Amino acid sequence: MNNSKSNAIISVKDVKRSFRSPKKKPGFWGSMQLLYKPEYQVHEALKGVSFEIEEGTFNGLIGANGAGKTTLLKILSGLIPPSSGEVRVLGFEPFTRPMDFRKQISLVMGQKAQLWWDLPALDAFDLIQAIYEIPIKTYKERLHTLSELLDVQKMLHTQIRRLSLGERMKMELIGVLLHWPKVIFLDEPTIGLDVLAAHNLREFLRVFNHKERATIILTSHNMDDIEKLCTRVLILKSGELVYDGTPKGLLKEDACTLKVTLKQRPNIEEVSTTTGIAKEKIRFEENGDEVEPAFYFSVNRAQVVSVLSGLMHRFEVLNMGFEEQSLETVIQQVYEEEKAESLRGQ
Amino acid sequence: MPSLSWRIAALKNGFQDAVAYRLEFLFEVIGHAIVPVAVQCVIWYALFDLGGATQIAGMTYHDFILYTLTSMLFSQIRGGDHDFELQEMIRSGTLSNYMLKPVGVVEFVYIRGVAPKLLLTGISFILGLIGTFVLHLNIFNLCAAMLLALIGNVIHYQLGAALATTAFLWEEAFSVLMVKNMVVGLLSGEMIPLTLIPSQYAWVWKSTPFYLYVFGPTQILLGKWTMVQTLESFLVAGVWLCVGYALIKITWFFGIRRYLSLGG
Repeated sequence: MNNSKSNAIISVKDVKRSFRSPKKKPGFWGSMQLLYKPEYQVHEALKGVSFEIEEGTFNGLIGANGAGKTTLLKILSGLIPPSSGEVRVLGFEPFTRPMDFRKQISLVMGQKAQLWWDLPALDAFDLIQAIYEIPIKTYKERLHTLSELLDVQKMLHTQIRRLSLGERMKMELIGVLLHWPKVIFLDEPTIGLDVLAAHNLREFLRVFNHKERATIILTSHNMDDIEKLCTRVLILKSGELVYDGTPKGLLKEDACTLKVTLKQRPNIEEVSTTTGIAKEKIRFEENGDEVEPAFYFSVNRAQVVSVLSGLMHRFEVLNMGFEEQSLETVIQQVYEEEKAESLRGQ
Repeated sequence: MPSLSWRIAALKNGFQDAVAYRLEFLFEVIGHAIVPVAVQCVIWYALFDLGGATQIAGMTYHDFILYTLTSMLFSQIRGGDHDFELQEMIRSGTLSNYMLKPVGVVEFVYIRGVAPKLLLTGISFILGLIGTFVLHLNIFNLCAAMLLALIGNVIHYQLGAALATTAFLWEEAFSVLMVKNMVVGLLSGEMIPLTLIPSQYAWVWKSTPFYLYVFGPTQILLGKWTMVQTLESFLVAGVWLCVGYALIKITWFFGIRRYLSLGG
């Protein structure tokens, strides 16, 4: 075991989680059948995930919809138990949810409101202050810092239901950060935030992580969040951990995106057959009249010549060039591979 | 020592939430108090004035009216619907918001929900005080009746919170709680005095704690129960409190393992 492993604040060993749900056939008879002879389907959300996270690090957890990110966060925060495997967070088994554990963690779910709809945010924050036994002076300082940072001082006395989506999200964030948690699970925290608020929040999280040595796990479909904040990225694909490393590590040195415009309009299957490149690694983009429609190939530099010669042999190439490889395109490719796999599975 | 500060803050917060819409709150209180009383008065009038009865189950028209007006004080204190809130939280996944806070979920939801009931208890107590002077009732009986009604409120929630855990199994416990409330409506004595139920079936209401919510306190305030019967009812309430506590512990221990935290 190396030195970094001994600082692990989160440890996940071979965690699996499956869900069983009733399977309803469409229509009236489907509903009737559900009454007398229900059928069930089992979905494996996590298939043996293992990793460790060190104290004070900022980690991105990414994957396509249904990859198992939220399930993993729910297990780590103690909302649901794993079907098998072992989880430790801050030395606790999360699902037992001891009070000391709850006082040190926070889970922000962008889709789920935690504050009370009919009350002003300030009333809810006062209750949170009492629940976490935050000294009044500290509470006021933190509230001032957070509300100023997220620019919501003037809205603290407004009923939550009267706030816009973005303003509500900001209030939610203040609510879960007031007790200065040691471990923060953020599930899509920038949903609904405008560009400036998202930037401010990112900046705050970066400083909070650095100064307070808070350990953060962030899931987001916004690659800006991941690129600007995370020193480590974990990618989940159909319940399996397929990448665990730095964001830069995802950008393979010899990988590139080749952009080719053809005179003809073949479909992706044809292009794939012609070039020998898998369909998942080819995408076609047509952005209206201003940008010419083009095929984009995610390939190694060594493959470029063979791809081009294959295309020229069969089609008329109008234009070609290389595109800068970004984290977003790499992740997009991972998602597309996952989608293709799930389609093949059906 | 258990922390009082969050409990006080939760009470305050629950009260603020309940009165966020003042007129709505006022209509709810008046509606809950006036409508059942009016319905009962019409029934008693029909039975005695139109039907020509002079006594039913040993009670005169005057006794029925007195029972109805007195029971109104306690039916206001009777448990609210925060067990429905619990089942909805389990169903929709919003229970997650509370599970991660360093407080007991079941207790937290109760304290927030009971806040407006405590206000109503205060109002009922003042009305009861006025009644004791007008009708020459015993103040000690009023205090005992109020206390029993408050304990009944806790028992009502405990049973509801235990039943709400069926939502962990079936994802929906609305009907279970609805049926419970209908049974409570009948066996608590808020619709009719339980003395109207034939004596051979008295074991039915005596084997539930529901009579402690309204019928028991009304009997105590009207001086219909002896001191021994009053003490006995407190003893029974104490046993039901323990049963309710144990039920919550058991059902939530097993139920929470099936929680899916749906909805994001």
